[in-house]
Order: sequence, then C-alpha cells, then structure tokens
Amino acid sequence: MIESVEFKNFKALRKATLPLSRFTLIVGPNGSGKSTAMQALQAVGKLESLDYSKVITAGINPSKQAAVQVIVSWSESLGRRVQTVATWPARGTPSREYPGSSLTIRKNFEQTLRALRIYSLDAESIAEPTQLQPRMSLASNGAHLAGVLDRLRDSAPERFEALNKELGRWLPEYDRILFDTPESGHRSILLRTREGHHPIPASELSQGTLFALALLTLAYIPDPPPIICIEEPDRGIHPRLLRNVQDALYRLSYPESGSEARAPIQVIATTHSPYMLDLYRDHPEEIVLAQKVGLEARFERLSDQVNIDEILEGARLSDLWYSGILGGVPLHP
Amino acid sequence: MKLATLSESPADAAAVRILVDALLGEQTETISSALLSPPGWPAVLDVLPNVIKHLHYRTNADALVVVVDSDNSPIHEQAHDAPDGVVDQCKVCLLRTTIKQTQIHLQPVVGRMPVKTAIGLAVPAIEAWYLCGIVPHATEAAFLQQPAATLREIKLKLKRDVYTTARPSLELATTRAVGAATRLAHDLDLIERLFPSGFGVLARDVRNW
Repeated sequence: MIESVEFKNFKALRKATLPLSRFTLIVGPNGSGKSTAMQALQAVGKLESLDYSKVITAGINPSKQAAVQVIVSWSESLGRRVQTVATWPARGTPSREYPGSSLTIRKNFEQTLRALRIYSLDAESIAEPTQLQPRMSLASNGAHLAGVLDRLRDSAPERFEALNKELGRWLPEYDRILFDTPESGHRSILLRTREGHHPIPASELSQGTLFALALLTLAYIPDPPPIICIEEPDRGIHPRLLRNVQDALYRLSYPESGSEARAPIQVIATTHSPYMLDLYRDHPEEIVLAQKVGLEARFERLSDQVNIDEILEGARLSDLWYSGILGGVPLHP
Repeated sequence: MKLATLSESPADAAAVRILVDALLGEQTETISSALLSPPGWPAVLDVLPNVIKHLHYRTNADALVVVVDSDNSPIHEQAHDAPDGVVDQCKVCLLRTTIKQTQIHLQPVVGRMPVKTAIGLAVPAIEAWYLCGIVPHATEAAFLQQPAATLREIKLKLKRDVYTTARPSLELATTRAVGAATRLAHDLDLIERLFPSGFGVLARDVRNW
C-alpha cells in the first residue's frame, strides 16, 4: 500500500505530501491539487507520459534547472517502508529509483504503478457498444463497460449475479443487465425494468444510472487495478445512493469486510459533495483536505488536526467543512 | 397503527420498527418509509420540525418514532420529565421540546390528531442495543462508565462486534439490525433492564400511546 506521496515542483504541488490510507477521500477547492496528485502518481508508473515543461511549477526560474520529483512511500507486507523516487530533470532522461530495494520489490511496485488507473467517468463513453477483446478492462472514462460485463457474465457468473442483485438495491426499477449484439464481435448493454421486463438500451439510461453501473462493475470484477483513483464518484448520483457508492468503494479497499476474497485495492477518491463527506465522519483518518495557499497546494489528513474529535463533536462534518474551520475551502469565495 | 420512523440509516429504521411492533404487540403499517435524516445528530434535530409538519398535513400517520445515538450527551432521566426538569444537553429533552414547539404551531386538520411521538436514545450507539444479551458489557451502565474521549473508538468497536467490520455495507447492516431486533423483540424485558434510560424512555412513550 502507498502510505504517502511527496511532490516537488509538480504544478501546484511545489512542496506537498499527500498522506494515504487504503481508502482516501480528498476534499478541497477547485485547483487545489486533487487531480494533479493523481496525475503525478500515475506518471511515476509511466515516466514518458509526462512532459517536464508542462508540469514544472509555474513561477520557478528556468535557470535554476529545478527537477520535478515525486516520491512514493510504500509500506511492505513486513511493515518496512520502501520508496520509489521518480525524477524528471530539466534536461535529460527521467528516472525511477528504489533506494535499498530488491529487484523483486522493484518489479512488484513498477507493475502496480503501471496498472494504476484514474477514472473520470463519462456517460456517453460508458453507454457505447464495445468491440470484444480477449482481455477487457474498464477505460478511464468508463468505455468498454459492455465488454467488461460480458466477460464477467461468462467468466465469473456468480459475481455477475451478485452484481445484478446489488444493482436492484441501488436502482430498484431495474432487475437485470442484458446484452445485445449490435454488430458481429460487439456488445452493448441494456437494463431490464423490474416491472414489465422492458429492456432499456444504455444510450437511453440516465447519466447517474450509467455512472452507478460503472462503479458497481468496478467493485464486482475479480481483478480491478491495484490502485484506483476516481474523480467524484458521487457525480450524477442521488445523495441517498451515496451510501451504496461508499459500500462499493469499501468493497474494493476493504474486501474482507464483505464476502470478497481478493487482495485490497487502494482507492483514492475526490469529492465536492457534503453528503459524501458526511458518510466518512467515523473515519477522519480517511479524509484528506486539500488547501491552496497562494499558488501552492497542501494536503492534510483530517485526523491529524489538533483536537479534531472535540471539534467534530455534535456537528455535521459537512457543515464544519463548509464553514472553513477544517480547511479545504476556497480562500476568497 | 400507521407508523413513521426517523433515523440516520434504513438499517436502524428496520430494527426500530420491529422493536416498536413488539412493544405495541401489533404489526404497524408503514407510513413515509422513505424518511431518512442525513447522517449526524444535528441533521436529525434540523429536519424533525419539517417531518412533523409533513406527517401532520400530508399523511395519515398516527405516530412517529425517532431513535438517535447518545454519543457524549447525558442520558435521559425521569427527573427531566418534571415541568422544570428539561436538560439542555439531553437529546431526548431537545427532541421533545422541538416536537412540542412544532406541534403548538400546527394548523388544525379536520379529522387529524397530532402525531403521537416516541423517542429512543441508543447509548452510546444503536449497535449497543444489537449486542444486548450477547455480550455481558452491552449495558447502558457499562458504556456510561467509559471515558467520553474514547467515544469514536468505542463506536468503532461496537461496529466490529456487531458486523465483524467497522465498515459494514448497508445490506450487512440491515441484516444484522433486523436479526438483532427480531431476537430482542422476544425479550423486551432484557433490553429494558439493561438499557433502562435510552430504551426505557422509548418503551414508555410507545406504551403511553
């Protein structure tokens, strides 16, 4: 598991450390580095994906030749802390080092970082028919959902049935995912209404329904990416369903809490939803507040704040967040 | 009897309904089953006046049950029921005062009596009720002896004890809540004896309807 990520000269993250848990919910104003942190973390696994000139912190004097650096601190299964240090120099080739680590650990972490995925779901992409491939995975925007579900039905029918059941709890008007073959080698999905068993094509479903279906699918596939970053999983979803969204995210990061047998997935999510935030009031260690100070962004774990239990007592977390006393708000709204 | 419940979770609501049915000795009819408060005590208090108005003007509900976690608040004692005995920090007193003040200002509706109400206070959280009779320390007295500073840890431990995880899914929470309430419905004396203040006040309210 990644315990923290230290950023140097990466866009607004000139000097910042993001503390992480198995599940982390980041809240903060627009432009406070939430998405940038995810992008930086992904770049550690794909060094070539990053263009130095585009990510070096604005305002740094080019003559100083400052390097962009992202340091990932992992906790190993034996409790040892290991680091991955990714450096993008002003000139020359970017590098990734694992000080003091064995080749096995290095390979393991590289594989994990390369498999990291950032999801920013898009309804149209989710609804699109998919060309079937031997291996199907959900794209960052939710594309290929039909293919992923088709494979799930064939390769893990018990999971597919469990997903259908859960879908009925989230969206009681539907009771089953159906498939269509719009052309040879392609799949599209439909949802069957509970009443009347009418098949509704994905293209006719609401955005929130499609987002919910994509989130559920991620939670039920047997092999999700080992690290999942997800932008605003609450988007388009009714506030009352956010408890179900929380369940889906915890199913990923705390599989032992349910009947899930696979290894824990590290989940990093962002939100602007007060309702979503309130669901985590019993776990302040899972909430990170992003704050912009001038041009720079900082992160702080809620549970690290002074006298936090006393501050939180008798109040709604969302109200305290909105008031500004916890931070994570625009400085001059 | 047509009954509405107000709680923070559908799982709690399902359990409370079973317990109230047992106290009444009849199966109540669900009214406004969709009533939910956003998480947290302040939200319950905020939304309660509007719930009372909604039930009075727009439904034929006979009664409303509200159950909240005590957290660090004082327990409700019989002395609070005296004319000048209301305690500001007591959640039962606060909820009762809110209900009373709201109902005073309601316009009469032909054929409608004011909605009867009952309030329960789960000390320190409703999971303690679910453990009643299962573990010896699941009593109001035992929880009241715990230092207030450790409330969050106590609540997480209660969750782990009930659900085997501090992060139960809604499905798991509902299954366990309904299971526990069904068990306790057959042994109301036990929960009234071990949770005399928080469950006792609910039982007295319901039996006085």
